[in-house]
Amino acid sequence: MAYHSFLLEPISCHAWNKDRTQIALCPNNHEVHIYRKDGAKWSKVHELKEHNGQVTGIDWAPESNRLVTCGTDRNAYVWTLKGNVWKPTLVILRINRAARCVKWSPKENKFAVGSGSRLISICYFEQENDWWVCKHIKKPIRSTVLSLDWHPNNVLLAAGSCDFKCRIFSAYIKEVEERPSPTPWGSKMPFGELMFESSSSCGWVHSICFSASGARVAWVSHDSTLCLADANKKMGVASLCTETLPLLAVTFITENSLVAAGHDCYPMLFTYEESQGALTFGGKLDVPKQSSQRGLTARERFQNLDKKASSDTANATLDTLHKNSIRRVLGRRGGVGGQISVLAGGKANCSQFCTTGMDGGMSIWDVK
Amino acid sequence: RRTGDALRAFHAALRSSPGNAKSQAMKEQAQGTMLKVLTSFKSSEIEQAVNSLDRNGVDLLMKYIYKGFEKPTENSSAILLQWHEKALAAGGLGSIVRVLTARKTV
Repeated sequence: MAYHSFLLEPISCHAWNKDRTQIALCPNNHEVHIYRKDGAKWSKVHELKEHNGQVTGIDWAPESNRLVTCGTDRNAYVWTLKGNVWKPTLVILRINRAARCVKWSPKENKFAVGSGSRLISICYFEQENDWWVCKHIKKPIRSTVLSLDWHPNNVLLAAGSCDFKCRIFSAYIKEVEERPSPTPWGSKMPFGELMFESSSSCGWVHSICFSASGARVAWVSHDSTLCLADANKKMGVASLCTETLPLLAVTFITENSLVAAGHDCYPMLFTYEESQGALTFGGKLDVPKQSSQRGLTARERFQNLDKKASSDTANATLDTLHKNSIRRVLGRRGGVGGQISVLAGGKANCSQFCTTGMDGGMSIWDVK
Repeated sequence: RRTGDALRAFHAALRSSPGNAKSQAMKEQAQGTMLKVLTSFKSSEIEQAVNSLDRNGVDLLMKYIYKGFEKPTENSSAILLQWHEKALAAGGLGSIVRVLTARKTV
């Protein structure tokens, strides 16, 4: 496991290029900085300045090498590398609130943007007019869309929202693709069709992820729960109430295991037992060096308040690798869509994944 | 007073918690019953009672503990803080988060 401290500022979002030699990240401002690995060091090689508001989402298409970014300025840009310069193309999202997340589709011919406008913008390139256009998925979303993930069939899209729901929509665009074949989530997939909607959580859905096969979708919400819907079990939902603070990011690392991280600053392993339809906690992935101090009990805290008339914060320093909440967990994508990669990876068999935190650091974790 | 009685009363109070009750009167009655049961425990008996609960039970108990904090009686807070310590050990911070996020309150 390796830790690199990039900044003193939180890292708002990040994305890796295909061979993991470069990382694009937002240092909590209006810009995107690209760092390249030089041996053991990371050097900043590009600064992308176009957004007028904080950059809230970055995604790096592995095959076409294009970046897409979105921000609180209600815009998205597609960036293409020309020589040694990244050139932006504005994409009009037709939203009147901040964009919050963006994801390229597996075939990289579309991307989806979630926003505070309570809708998802599905963007694709219109050849005749030589620009990006978008269609909206609105119903029945009632609040900000915080997270998105594409099904491997390039059509279905999972969305997590502040209205406590995880939903799967069809984002089928007839202009750029063939009609999709039936999946365990359903057969009819006209644009905007709602294929699945959850009802179990009582918290904002921070992060959502399809398994590598697309048959399962998992999400974490602000009520400290992890949920998983299994299309092969009639979309039955398994949920787990965790003992931790809310999780903010989740990814599958095999078809049956997940890694999640959040306000507790360390990644956690979870497993899904298909026959019982149950999720279980599999342990933390970062064990502090000294034995963890329990911290004060509520009673001791009140007693101290009484004595000193001041709040007495536990003086144990944070022993975990990340000193602040972890915001993103990105599985290294190696084998999705027929790609052949020298390093084993992908959501089917992840051997390494990366986390970035509000402490400005980036960690690479090995899965054994 | 036997320990067994208190434990039985405890489980009965949790089981009969009015989950979806819209009636405020019903909820208040349940809160009152639960508070009586919780305050009837000896300190040494609390841990065993908490450990007899499953995850949902711990979450429900934590909701009642905080409801009890909201409307303190003369000696209730002291015993509730002891319950809180044991419930926290069993349910973690997640159980407190779910008190804050729950749509259905007790």
